[in-house]
Amino acid sequence: MNSLTKASTLSSENISVWFGQRQVLSDVNLVFPANKVTALIGPSGCGKSTFIRTLNRMHELIPGAGLAGSVFLDGEDIYGEDFDAVSVRIKIGMVFQKPNPFPTMTIRDNILSGLRLSGRKIENGDEVAETSLRRASIWNEVKDRLNDQAISLSGGQQQRLCIARSLAMNPQVLLMDEPCSALDPGSTRRIEETIKELSSSMTIVIVTHNMQQAQRVSDQTAFFLADDNTPGGVVEFGSTEQIFNGPIDQRTNDYVNGHFG
Amino acid sequence: MSFAPRPAVQPWARVNTARRIQILLASVLPLAATVLIIILTGLDKNMALLGVFLPLQLIAAAVVGFNAFGKRGVGDAALIVLVIFFATFVLVLLASVVVSLVSQGAQAMSWGFFTTNNRYVSNTTSLEYGGVGHAIIGTLLVVGLTTVVTVPLGIAMAIYLTQSQSKTKGVIRTLTQAISGLPSVVAGLFILSIAITLDWQKSGLLGSMALLPLMLPTVARVAEEALRLVPVDLRYAALALGAPNYRAFFQVILPAAKSGLVTAILLGVARIIGETAPLILTVPISNGTSWDLFSGEIMTLPAYVYNYLGSAFVPSQNRAWGAALVLMILVAILFGTTRILSRSKSLKSKPTKEKASK
Ligand SMILES: Nc1ncnc2c1ncn2[C@@H]1O[C@H](COP(=O)(O)OP(=O)(O)OP(=O)(O)O)[C@@H](O)[C@H]1O
Ligand SMILES: [Mg+2]
Repeated sequence: MNSLTKASTLSSENISVWFGQRQVLSDVNLVFPANKVTALIGPSGCGKSTFIRTLNRMHELIPGAGLAGSVFLDGEDIYGEDFDAVSVRIKIGMVFQKPNPFPTMTIRDNILSGLRLSGRKIENGDEVAETSLRRASIWNEVKDRLNDQAISLSGGQQQRLCIARSLAMNPQVLLMDEPCSALDPGSTRRIEETIKELSSSMTIVIVTHNMQQAQRVSDQTAFFLADDNTPGGVVEFGSTEQIFNGPIDQRTNDYVNGHFG
Repeated sequence: MSFAPRPAVQPWARVNTARRIQILLASVLPLAATVLIIILTGLDKNMALLGVFLPLQLIAAAVVGFNAFGKRGVGDAALIVLVIFFATFVLVLLASVVVSLVSQGAQAMSWGFFTTNNRYVSNTTSLEYGGVGHAIIGTLLVVGLTTVVTVPLGIAMAIYLTQSQSKTKGVIRTLTQAISGLPSVVAGLFILSIAITLDWQKSGLLGSMALLPLMLPTVARVAEEALRLVPVDLRYAALALGAPNYRAFFQVILPAAKSGLVTAILLGVARIIGETAPLILTVPISNGTSWDLFSGEIMTLPAYVYNYLGSAFVPSQNRAWGAALVLMILVAILFGTTRILSRSKSLKSKPTKEKASK
């Protein structure tokens, strides 16, 4: 049932971001080709989360937020007149750094919440739940307790539940903001495997502070940096192989080899 | 899910005998000393409680705490003593209200007291006849109408105050707070003056209107706090899934705030159910049962209490106490059932299946 939707190409053009009077990003130009995994790396506070939020219009929810530039989904500007925020977010899913399952819902209802919240009819809910949970490799752990409250799961399980919740929507693009930062090595490993499997059906953008993880899961990598009191931006963007083994910019070299940050 | 039985040992609760004796002495000696001083010097009991017992008890606890944990034990011990002392004080105060209400009201209690009205009752009729049935109905109707109107209004205000970015909300919050200080008699007079100007008849409806400004600030404020406690993460999670704002609100934020919103409603009802002045001003009382909120006379429990408490006749005074007790019972029943209902609802989706062992 999933095979009909296809992955999309996402690209940003001259994205600049302000919070109030302060500019925190300047002229970010990146291309995320269909079915590729892109890692965003860089020191804390350089604007990775901020950038990723501009890609599915979550940025505009922050009071005082400003934006210039465009984001194209298969050539169409998601900030253009033909798109509204809700339909953008249905196509471009997001997994947050902190697991945030809905505490009033059961595991099963959490998975189906996206469909309900976006006003779609749920036919074969059981099937959707099972498929999504399997894809997020958490099915075996929860299959006997689908009617338990979601908050009874461990942190790592909650995060995979949140991934499953996004997958149930069948997004064309999946944005992940440090999805493994609160997880143990086992859960991290499983999520990384999940990401690789998912890339056959969607485009993935992942923010990570873990250099090994970036190398393990991504096809291409963008290095973000914000010098003191200047807006952040992309220093270097290329294949993961090139960024980690032959960076052109000295700062990239220092960062990926752990010399600063 | 199955858990191992709770172990009988709690290592942290182990206390050696020497300390146990100290604790025992520290809890008995101050009281004994205080009693002795009262007997010997004839000191006023209340004075002794504050001036002798409390300091002695503090010192005793501090000594025990110091022996056990050194300096930091003193602070802990003092805190425990103060908390227990004042908590007991408040508890005794509240309990005495309840006890006097129950003991005075008990004589009036009978099945008939709850179910009959006062149509054929005079000042001196014995308690076997007549009752507060009509006043219970009246109170439920008047308070019910106010609740039905105020709860949506109050929650809507709370939603506005938490969800909107607009600048005017500061003004609105301040206004709401100001209204919560409104003397209830003024609310009654306000509605009465409107009624006189527009030539409306007094009725249960006017009473409900007078209660509205008293209930609204409570509901709005408590509901606002309840909504504010819902993490903004949840809203973002819902919106990121492609939810329009209203669905995110109704399907995620509102359920997460449910128990707080129930509290808001209960506190609102508690605020007005015993209100007397506005009802005396705006609702004509009767001795018969009336189901009509919109015209004619209708009795309410607070008005009933007020009406009979001033009487010179003992049976009437007993009726007043009985009605006050009924009011308390009514509140207890309302709170109890609402709590049980709202709890069982959220428990419904708790674990149903016995989990197979992994
Ligand atoms: N809501 C906000 N209001 C104002 N400034 C903000 C807000 N969110 C982020 N910023 C600022 O924007 C800059 C980028 O923040 P961002 O969260 O995008 O960094 P990041 O690269 O994700 O860092 P980390 O790796 O620590 O998550 C920071 O300087 C931060 O102070
Ligand atoms: Mg971040």
